[in-house]
Amino acid sequence: MDARAGYTFLLPWLLGFIALTVGPMISSLYLSFTNYNLFDPPKWIGLDNYTTLFQDERFLQSVGVTVGYVVFGTPLKLAAALAVAMLLNSKRRGQGFYRSAFYAPSLIGASVSIAIVWKAMFGDSGPVDQGLSFFGINLGGWVGNPSMTMPMFILLTVWQFGAPMVIFLAGLKQIPNDLYEAASMDGAGPVRKFFNITWPMLSPVIFFNLLMETIHAFQIFASAYIISNGEGGPAGSTLFYTLYLYLRGFSDFRMGYASAMAWLLVIVVGIITLIFFRTSKSWVHYSGDAK
Amino acid sequence: MINRRHFLTTVAVGTASAAALAACGAGSSSSGETGTAEKPVTINYTWWGNDDRAERTRKAIALFESKNPDIKVNGNFTDFAGYWQKRATEAAGGGLPDVMQWDLSYLRDYGQRNQLLDLGTVKINTDAFEKSLLPSGQIKGKTYGIPTSTNAFAVYYDPAKLASLGIAEPDGSWTYKEFNDFLTEVGTKSNSALFGSTDYTGVWWMFNIWLRQNNIEAFTEDGKLGFTKDDMKKWWNTTAGLRGTPAIVSEERVTQLAPKSPFGSNVTATEVTWDNFMAGYLGDSGAKELKLVPVPSDDPDNLGLFLKPSMLMVASAKTKYKDAAARFIDFMVNDPEVGQIFKTSRGVPASKTQRDGTTFEGTDKLVVDYEKSIEQYLKDAPEPPIVGFGTLEASFKRVSSDLNYGKLTIDGAADAWFKEAEDLIKQNA
Repeated sequence: MDARAGYTFLLPWLLGFIALTVGPMISSLYLSFTNYNLFDPPKWIGLDNYTTLFQDERFLQSVGVTVGYVVFGTPLKLAAALAVAMLLNSKRRGQGFYRSAFYAPSLIGASVSIAIVWKAMFGDSGPVDQGLSFFGINLGGWVGNPSMTMPMFILLTVWQFGAPMVIFLAGLKQIPNDLYEAASMDGAGPVRKFFNITWPMLSPVIFFNLLMETIHAFQIFASAYIISNGEGGPAGSTLFYTLYLYLRGFSDFRMGYASAMAWLLVIVVGIITLIFFRTSKSWVHYSGDAK
Repeated sequence: MINRRHFLTTVAVGTASAAALAACGAGSSSSGETGTAEKPVTINYTWWGNDDRAERTRKAIALFESKNPDIKVNGNFTDFAGYWQKRATEAAGGGLPDVMQWDLSYLRDYGQRNQLLDLGTVKINTDAFEKSLLPSGQIKGKTYGIPTSTNAFAVYYDPAKLASLGIAEPDGSWTYKEFNDFLTEVGTKSNSALFGSTDYTGVWWMFNIWLRQNNIEAFTEDGKLGFTKDDMKKWWNTTAGLRGTPAIVSEERVTQLAPKSPFGSNVTATEVTWDNFMAGYLGDSGAKELKLVPVPSDDPDNLGLFLKPSMLMVASAKTKYKDAAARFIDFMVNDPEVGQIFKTSRGVPASKTQRDGTTFEGTDKLVVDYEKSIEQYLKDAPEPPIVGFGTLEASFKRVSSDLNYGKLTIDGAADAWFKEAEDLIKQNA
């Protein structure tokens, strides 16, 4: 009886989930084995799309760009989030204001307008160029320089540390204060306290944030699309995985190929998630564990 | 505190799935649904362009609605690159707008795949068109697009800038070497304050013109490439000595300035492109006057030039309002008042009725005069290029840009482009 009521209430969501998520995913799985140009009926070609991928230089380039972004951007973002969360965890006046102020960029950061602002800021003679020139560093505009676009994107993601910060803050508040007091009595300094109390006590939250942010980073699209005019330039330096997927599907009419790319991404992200969970046992501590 | 179960149940798997949902279009009678003044039908019209064109189009639509009270036109526009991605999405869902501005590069992609209405089946008057121009909107005997206007390739320059550098104005009869020397002179005399031009070898249509100057057609009749890798390398070598010198603006600058062109931003003295960009360049650069001369050629009798339909009007194959769509297209291509509104901003009007009904003054007259001055050199307009040509044109631009960034050698660039082209031709075969 209870179960039936439960499913009844779940039904609207479940229908949406099946029609809008599961259905399209299954059809994209099918399409990934076909040659489909949006107009003619899909032609079954087996694994061809998947094998072609690895001979496609642009594809390999997009993998390189994306992995670089994930590997450098995610840890930096989390470090910034944790550092600010610890600063905001102390009892001072106006903490509510600071929390909101630091959180705001993550609300608007993914928007189109911010990408446009970012592009203007990092362009030739933009504020960033001028600011650096003041200190004698003449890099010119970052937007047109293939070796400076990645640092720009990493800065953009680090700046949006608000969401993981709020979660870190919640986690920090859960750590009982007596642990720190006891450590102080034993003469532990701030560094020691951080590594022996904060880090292990916070490790589930760190794990959660790391997982979510990594998955999130793999999916970067909007800002790359806008800053590079939808082309992934200059010289392919912002050709992120999802951007190339989109170009393949909607500019080149290679929907089968794009679907194969999408599924490869799902599989790879799935494997990474699995590895995270497996390795987490050695460094993530949950309360109640005998450790 | 946090316990394990809490966490492990929060499993998140990110997915990026591109899904295409097929929808079905509605069938319709031969002329489609029609409206009355009391109960007008509404057709959707979409185009690409800047604010200037949007303003002119709004005027044209208002005029059309006042003359045709039984039809309302709902207009919508984006920039060129986003335009095609949007159309692809709509076509996949069966929801293309009723009437669309179209580009020759994409005519086969949609025409051959039955997405566009055969305009031979509706009433559109083409009596006032040059007979040599109409085939560019036709595929296998069916008319999918009506040209609104023509454009031709030209070299733009700003006479005031040349005068300030003490450089004589070009007369347009020049070889590639003379043109290159001219670009170098601009860059050197201005001490790099003004570059000669962008790397014109990165423009597909200029490559196409160069091929024609050498009596090579870019594509064969059966949809294959008509030129070789060596032709392409030779072409990119034309400016090999200029890259990285003040003759050519750096690719870094070009990227930063986008979507504005270096010429429109007063960074270069010349630009090689379509003659209907005049109005846009004047607006962007604020120059008092810009002039047009023919492109360089090593054969003074063969400039490889042609008139291309700068844009076409097409209708969706699935439109419910065929009659209304046809009347709107007819109006846009033939009506003299529409010519007065657009002048040469779409190109020189293709229909004689519209051309004769338009007064061209100032810079508009320059564009019309330019097309008249090259009349003796003009060859037939190319047929609609191969399926997927839009992609090839984009990758030509991209590979050329990589070349200018020094990421690819000329050999590497040619290899990369040919690999993509051959792959694409195989895909669509």
